[in-house]
Amino acid sequence: MAGKITIVLIDHSYLVRSGMENLLREFPEVSLTEVFDGSEKHLVEKTMSLKPDFIIINPKSIKDSLNSFVLSLGNDALLIGLVDEHTPPVIRSRFKHILTITDNKYDLLNNMHKLMGTNSKDKSGKHENHSLSERETTVLKHITQGMTNQEIAEKLFLSVHTVTTHRKNITKKLGIKTVSGLTVYALLNKIIDMGEVNQQ
Amino acid sequence: MRIEKDMKLADVIHHDFNLVPVINRFGIHLGFGDGTIEQICKEHKVNVAFFLIIINVYHDPQYFPKKHLQSFPVGSLVAYLHNAHEYYLEQKIPEIKKLIVKLTEESGDKHKNNFKLAFNFFEEYEHELTAHIDREETSVYPYVVELEKVIESGTAPDKVLARMQSYSITDYEDEHENVEEKLYDLKNLIIKYLPSVKNDAISYNILLELFDLEKDLREHARIEDMILVPKVEAMEITIKKMN
Repeated sequence: MAGKITIVLIDHSYLVRSGMENLLREFPEVSLTEVFDGSEKHLVEKTMSLKPDFIIINPKSIKDSLNSFVLSLGNDALLIGLVDEHTPPVIRSRFKHILTITDNKYDLLNNMHKLMGTNSKDKSGKHENHSLSERETTVLKHITQGMTNQEIAEKLFLSVHTVTTHRKNITKKLGIKTVSGLTVYALLNKIIDMGEVNQQ
Repeated sequence: MRIEKDMKLADVIHHDFNLVPVINRFGIHLGFGDGTIEQICKEHKVNVAFFLIIINVYHDPQYFPKKHLQSFPVGSLVAYLHNAHEYYLEQKIPEIKKLIVKLTEESGDKHKNNFKLAFNFFEEYEHELTAHIDREETSVYPYVVELEKVIESGTAPDKVLARMQSYSITDYEDEHENVEEKLYDLKNLIIKYLPSVKNDAISYNILLELFDLEKDLREHARIEDMILVPKVEAMEITIKKMN
């Protein structure tokens, strides 16, 4: 087994949190952190800073902002929805995996076991590569020159879709969203120099 | 904890001192004595119901005021939002700029230019925030105040009706996210990418200020989207029915 598994739980109910804590005692390798206070952005940051392997979310606890929450966590975070039988399919479909709150202990444990199995396989390398690939660096360079996705695609003989994907990955890896923020990053890391900065 | 009118304001501040700038926006300042929220609001001629909504929104991110609580004059809401804007532009932003300048001075000559990049970046953010706030102050808020006047007078001039057709308050909800992104970037630049200096004290202060500003702006946007916008939508419907 590859060391500890970190799980973050977002649920407003004390009883549910205590219940989950109790249940997870069955898994000695798991460390559980509960995050439930604070507003959406705060939650996302706090959650991500813990570098969790799983995030268990009760959609009711963040109902106003579930969509944007899921989006800002990115696609490869292993989100688990803590749902009940009333949870509508639209909400269920937001999650890769589901735990049903009304299940009995046996089923819950069984599902947990399965989930942890899925994670350990693709875990390697997921959190490690934060530096940009060569391609991404080139795309970044063009972004800071003020080029649009379309222009970058033409220049590099890529599809616009591919450029968009590169862009998303750059933002995710660096934690920088705006073009001017990316420009500062590129300057700091000597990917471009002052002379190349497009006057915006 | 839900903050209620019979609590002592001093106890509330002990519990959550981040509320100090918020009560300032109502004209209430430290040294307010030993009164309950209700008493102190009366002294300062502040609408208690409205005061409670605002401090609860700031205190508890999950808080959402019930409809029946939302009966207060729109004028007081607009006045509050205006004071908050002043606080951002006249206190917070200059303070952060000062700190970035200080950080630049402390960095060795080798890195000065890098910190200047961060400064320019923040100035760009300042321009964006100022433009956004200007738009609210010169276009959105006057519109809102006018709607309330129209409802009080009972008749809607054609001018207002025409404006309602061309502009709806829902248009403006979308604008908020954009302002947040640069703050987010700046935090990461400081945490991850700017060169290290000997002592992190100034950077830490900058981060404190940034996180604080970010939280304040977030709750501010929540108040606008959750309280101002629905209120205006309701007024727009009332006026349409009047004619």
